Amino acid sequence: MSTLGLHAGELVVDLDVFQGPFDLLVTLVLREEVDLWEVSVSRIIADYVLRLAESHEFDLEATSQFVVLVAALLEMKSRLLLDLETLGEDEEITVEEAGEELLTALVRYQQHRNAGEWLKARWADNAGRIYRRVPLPACFRRAHAGTERLPASLLAAAMAPLLREPPLPDTSHITDVAITLVAELRRLRSLLAHEGGFTFLSVAPRDRLEKAVTFFALLELHNRGEVSLHQARAFADIRVTAVRPEAVLAG
Amino acid sequence: MIDPLVIADLSRQIEAVLFIASRPVSAAELAASCVADPAVVDQALGRLAEEFADSRHGMELREVSGGFTFVVVRDCETAVEAFAGARRPDDLSPALVETLSVVAYLQPTTRAEVARVRGVSSEWALSSLEERGLVEECGRADAPGSPILYGTSGRFLTLFGLRDLTDLPPLEGFAPGADDVEELRERLVAHAERRRQ
Repeated sequence: MSTLGLHAGELVVDLDVFQGPFDLLVTLVLREEVDLWEVSVSRIIADYVLRLAESHEFDLEATSQFVVLVAALLEMKSRLLLDLETLGEDEEITVEEAGEELLTALVRYQQHRNAGEWLKARWADNAGRIYRRVPLPACFRRAHAGTERLPASLLAAAMAPLLREPPLPDTSHITDVAITLVAELRRLRSLLAHEGGFTFLSVAPRDRLEKAVTFFALLELHNRGEVSLHQARAFADIRVTAVRPEAVLAG
Repeated sequence: MIDPLVIADLSRQIEAVLFIASRPVSAAELAASCVADPAVVDQALGRLAEEFADSRHGMELREVSGGFTFVVVRDCETAVEAFAGARRPDDLSPALVETLSVVAYLQPTTRAEVARVRGVSSEWALSSLEERGLVEECGRADAPGSPILYGTSGRFLTLFGLRDLTDLPPLEGFAPGADDVEELRERLVAHAERRRQ
């Protein structure tokens, strides 16, 4: 079971491949000491969202930090996928090729350094030059207000449109998700406590998106060892049964 | 053959426009303002430059940052600085010059691309160049996350005395020589060997 703080540094994750502070996990992944393939990013996000909801606190800075680290993990993982698609297993880069790549990068860098030296010489010669920079006299500006006094009613007519409330944008095309993962976890736990089990279709809402939330909540309960899932065949209804605490311990 | 009197008259008009303008004015703008043929404007500009050359006046004509303007001649700078309190901009650190070079040659470019070329994070250097008005945002890349694109500014051209970006020498000309590349390669191989042992 994971114990989660809300700061990335305090956030303790408990995965198959790693247990400890979340930011340490990111560091180890960067050093390639933890295999990113084995890290379930969705699990980390679900844990975090759950703890965030339970804490009833929202620290924008801490959450932003978490989002940045998770985004870094996702980027690295997607790169990994792309690399594998473009490079076959037998096409791995050799030491010589890596050396050539590094040499190319160093040569490119050296080019810019040398160009920088040229710029530096230009700067030394030119940065101190004093150009004419006096602003254009006001009387020569192309657009200027007339000197005659304008009636107040004209000003009011010009300002009035600015004070009108703009019409609200039409948001009817945006689906409103009525349930959250946290609320759905609570509802399913309560059902399990009272009835001991149920089928997915009997408890799932009608809306497709909400159905997905229920399914995700079931997976979360299964991950936590609170339920067992049984499906007789593909696309058949899923039978959900509560796992007794002693069974969890024994398992 | 254009009448020398026409050229002389046009050069006086151009001088007057440049006297009143607060920024470099392009030849096309001068032609439009003076209602003159661009070819004649070129000749008039040549005459004006000649007239203000060789420190005959306290200022000289200069083409910079996409246009023509007057600049104080070197030996009068001290007097102007004392009068106006003008101060030379602070020098650029090697990291800033290096970053500026990457932006100047690769623009429009992203922060990530600059970091990739330099091999280090260039966040501070880019922000500092932006604060100095040498680099500016110029849109967003059509890439995941729509990163900000950076380019050099008009101030960059002015402070480096460039007419436009084509004044930058080709980057290929700054490539290290074959001997230097070979030396780099040998150093890399030696380093790899040491790591293997």
